[in-house]
Amino acid sequence: MPEKFWTSFEHLQAPVEPDLAEFSDTPLRNETGPDRRGFLKAAGFSFGAAMLAGCTRIVNKIEPNLIQPEGFIPGRSVYYASTCNACSAGCGTLVKVRDGRPIKVEGNPEHPVSHGALCAMGQASILGLYDSHRVMQPVVEGKNVSWNDADAFMRNRLEEVRKSGGAVRLLTATVHSPTELAWISRFLEGFRNGRHVQYDALSSSAILDAHQQTHGSRFLPRYRFDKADVIVGIDADFLGTWISPVEFMRGYSASRNPNGSRYAWHAQVEPRMSLSGSKADRRVMLAPWELAVFVNDLADAVRTGNSKRAEVAEIANRLRAARGRGLVVCGLQDTAAQQQVNSINETLGNYGATIETAQASRQKRGDDRALESLMGELRAGQVDVLITAGVNPVYDVPGGEVAAKAKTLVAHALRMDETAAKAQVVLAGSHSLECWSDSEPVEGIAGIVQPCIRPLFQTRSCLETLAAWSGKPESGLNLIRDQWQKEIFPKAKSNLAFDKFWEQSLQAGFAGFEPSPRPKTAGTARPAAAPPPAARQEGFDVVLYAKPALFEFREAYNPWLQEVPDPISKVAWDNYACLGPQTAEKLGVTMGDVVRIECGGQTLELPALVQAGQSETVVAVALGYGSRLSERFAKVGPEWIEARPTLNDKGQVGVSGTPLMSLEGGLLRYSRSGARVSKTGKKADLACTQEHHSLTAPGHLRPAAGATRPIVQETTLEEVRASGGHRPKEAPEPQLWENDHPTPNHRWAMVVDLNACTGCSACVVACQAENNIPVVGKDEMRRKREMHWMRIDRYYSGSPEDPQVAHQPMLCQHCENAPCETVCPVLATVHSEEGLNQQIYNRCVGTRYCANNCPYKVRRFNWFQYSHEDQIANLVLNPDVTVRSRGVMEKCTFCVQRIQEAKIESQRTGAPLRDGDVKTACQQTCPANAIIFGDLNDKNSNVSRLMADDRRFKVLEEINVRPSVGYLKIVRSEAQRDTEKENG
Amino acid sequence: MNSRIVTIVLLIGLAVTGAMLVARMSEFHLPGNQQGYSPVQPIAYSHLLHAGEMQIPCLYCHYGAQFSRHASVPPANVCMNCHREVTASLGAMHAEDALAEKEKRKPRQVVSPELKKLYDALALDANLKPDPNKTPYPIVWNRVHTLPSFVYFDHRAHVNAGVECQKCHGPVETMERVRQYSDLSMGWCVNCHRDANKTGIAGKQVRASIDCSTCHY
Repeated sequence: MPEKFWTSFEHLQAPVEPDLAEFSDTPLRNETGPDRRGFLKAAGFSFGAAMLAGCTRIVNKIEPNLIQPEGFIPGRSVYYASTCNACSAGCGTLVKVRDGRPIKVEGNPEHPVSHGALCAMGQASILGLYDSHRVMQPVVEGKNVSWNDADAFMRNRLEEVRKSGGAVRLLTATVHSPTELAWISRFLEGFRNGRHVQYDALSSSAILDAHQQTHGSRFLPRYRFDKADVIVGIDADFLGTWISPVEFMRGYSASRNPNGSRYAWHAQVEPRMSLSGSKADRRVMLAPWELAVFVNDLADAVRTGNSKRAEVAEIANRLRAARGRGLVVCGLQDTAAQQQVNSINETLGNYGATIETAQASRQKRGDDRALESLMGELRAGQVDVLITAGVNPVYDVPGGEVAAKAKTLVAHALRMDETAAKAQVVLAGSHSLECWSDSEPVEGIAGIVQPCIRPLFQTRSCLETLAAWSGKPESGLNLIRDQWQKEIFPKAKSNLAFDKFWEQSLQAGFAGFEPSPRPKTAGTARPAAAPPPAARQEGFDVVLYAKPALFEFREAYNPWLQEVPDPISKVAWDNYACLGPQTAEKLGVTMGDVVRIECGGQTLELPALVQAGQSETVVAVALGYGSRLSERFAKVGPEWIEARPTLNDKGQVGVSGTPLMSLEGGLLRYSRSGARVSKTGKKADLACTQEHHSLTAPGHLRPAAGATRPIVQETTLEEVRASGGHRPKEAPEPQLWENDHPTPNHRWAMVVDLNACTGCSACVVACQAENNIPVVGKDEMRRKREMHWMRIDRYYSGSPEDPQVAHQPMLCQHCENAPCETVCPVLATVHSEEGLNQQIYNRCVGTRYCANNCPYKVRRFNWFQYSHEDQIANLVLNPDVTVRSRGVMEKCTFCVQRIQEAKIESQRTGAPLRDGDVKTACQQTCPANAIIFGDLNDKNSNVSRLMADDRRFKVLEEINVRPSVGYLKIVRSEAQRDTEKENG
Repeated sequence: MNSRIVTIVLLIGLAVTGAMLVARMSEFHLPGNQQGYSPVQPIAYSHLLHAGEMQIPCLYCHYGAQFSRHASVPPANVCMNCHREVTASLGAMHAEDALAEKEKRKPRQVVSPELKKLYDALALDANLKPDPNKTPYPIVWNRVHTLPSFVYFDHRAHVNAGVECQKCHGPVETMERVRQYSDLSMGWCVNCHRDANKTGIAGKQVRASIDCSTCHY
């Protein structure tokens, strides 16, 4: 590895050869080998067992349907269009249903918001359906009851409140389902004092408030990254967790295609290294309190054209040069700053161009002011009935424990979270794959959520519950259909009859319609200059953020998401205190040292993580950890003598950052200053995967003449444009082996665009869902035994204080001269005549030679029997992929089951296989379109075209294993090149 | 004396064991090989009658074989396509007709005991109308052809390539009770794939891959 790139601070300080031991702490290392008697015993036993196995027949049963529904064929997958409910972005999904059970969620390519992509959370949402820890039936005062009893109890209680005129509050996250909103208002109409409060755990309330001020209506505009030429993100991680990451990632990658006619320039201003920051051309690091100042300066500079601050002037000039093609987004929870941002965008003419207001977004509708006043009412004991639906205020609102002060607390929840645990009535909610609903993520685009399975337990959707309590018990389907007939169909201006329209919408998963215009009052176009920020307090600034993949609390139960390493820190199964490199040195802490954060009377103890590219006064802590929902992981991972628990001493995964949040001035705030950070002297394990499976060309294999080539390669836009995109013809490398493995029919290959890849990890989870990849737990991950077939390596370059970041998805490269194949003593890994490197589980005896010989370190060994007995969770398994047992090697197969399916279907229908018919799971879900898979024998395929692109390189090409995976170089700006040169 | 008794007992024991082993020799099979397996089914369905005498095409009932990896046992509603009308064998019907003529009455509906099981599972009454007092229950068949879970076999690919069902399943139309005809071992699969590549199937050139990942993934 050239010295330019580094993966961790240890690596940077002492550029030694990375730890090449493939496996650390092997369980066999300390054992003495089997003695002769042991061998005989084992041999005798296995011989006997083999005989017995030969004598017994396993009797399998077949239970066909009595009356088979039309169109249902056992073993054939059916796809239903639906809408993802994992967050409030409202991406369209296609749910793969096999033999009556949903087994995978994929993006709906026709959906106007998500365009076929899905994030890690959406991919993992299916595991939430098959969750044996769900609330399986209503609970009233600690007793499991039937729905009739729960309804009777609630009707009585609500009747009392109706008579007394007491306060009823319904607390939800953002609801953009038109039918649900209609029923919520219908339900609350029955009360003299009923109110619906929406809040988002990751709030964007300030943006809505600012638009109330500047545009006269409280709304969230729709940001069009696909139309922007200059993108400025101010503490808004729009590629990671902000509002609608999938939609934004699609747009962002469309705007940043170096082979296209335009290439957007992106500046990110932020206190900590976010996913968006890792992709920026220009990154400005500021402490949280400096951000508002920056916004004011930028507003001035945009108006006047100059600024005292060089970075502000640069960004402002770029924006001014791209009037109507620029986009400034800001994630600050500060209404004054947001108003300034609106005025910047207004001045530049971005409204109506890159910022849509006519068809605005409804993805965040939370109102923190309403939340604050609700908290006040609760504190004063003025709330008679508080119904929470799909939210967990006790956990994720600072001071949210007051929810328990409501006279009756009713929680509509899927799982026993903190709020449900305190609630008098817990209503077992249905998963979105089990119930009808709808959505309107963007005004004028309505999506349908349709059930793909009957409720597994005695659960009911929130919509049906509200209808039942309003005295009109009705099935979800009828409720949605009625609403669509009354409200959406007339606005859709369709020529069809309603039944046809409904059928068509159901099949597509969504329908477009003409939204009713928003009531508008006059707003002040230009805000008064924001008041100067409060004097900076001494000490550290705490920044609370959400990790991509895991987001806020809601997914804390999900082992797939817990096991995804954070794209930047590469740590899984934990949150930690991120400290800047110089600060860490000053405090004398390194990774894993537990530090104490004291702030505003709250104390948190967390392991430290030294984070490159973080403002030195900042300590950043991820939200969503330390939740009750993670207590279930006490037994995750294999049980053996040296196993260490995944949970910390509190019995949870990580520590909750909520106590450091604040709810003041009508806004949820995710940063505060005046914190003290000190070392405690304790140590904690962190499962950090970046140093695992390091790539390097072994010293003795390095070509004698030339230097080794970088693992990650970079170019500039100028170079790309100069080359015209086509690479010069290369002389074929001399080969030791004869070319006696023809690939006459197909030659599968993949190209990964490193410039597009944002590291969001959706592919990692999609691969896990598709290929039945087990969850191993924190301890196994710490021991380099994670099972992900696809990982995303993160490399830094430049100085630790302000590095550049590269994300590199790494998977089996399906080498033509595969080193793993030559060392397998049992030929369990061989080449196919379609260019695939096949791994045959039933032939593998587990010598692990192949993994040892793999230069890319992508082979995974089943150290234990990871498959488990949870019959409900096992329903998610893909029946087309073998569940591997202990002692077997596995790795990426290029989704060979999908290749086979496409080939067999093309043979059945007689239509030849076209480019794009086979999509690997990672490619299908990639929001950035960074993964392209296809057939190299088809000269017109996308993958053939990209293999001939000048940006294409292959990793470790110098060792001549001839991988089938090509990578496209990252495009850096000239400025970044220059800083690099300065840094040497 | 004692030792002689012991010897005799041992010899007898050995002889009995030997005899049993010889007697069961025909059933001997290697682990995983179930060739010849012919379990008793919950309904004594006869392929000899349906596929042989009546010449109902295999794909009429096992229609899944064209569209899916599983040929699948047909659901009961497929049986009812015919058995809504046909409730017993022709012989039994004729016998009832003759008896009714002799006794000068209308012939009663005859239901064969095996078809009764089908109607019971569907919760039908004597007139084949749904009986509200009965609850339907699934018919649990014993699976004859089983492959290990690490093998992916797809009926679709074979049926659409023109492979006859009998090629693997043997002369099912002559079997009263279905028996596993082939050994379904990997060598047997691969040999057929190799032959098919050389000779083609039904005069058509085919490409039957012998890559491992054709079946193992």
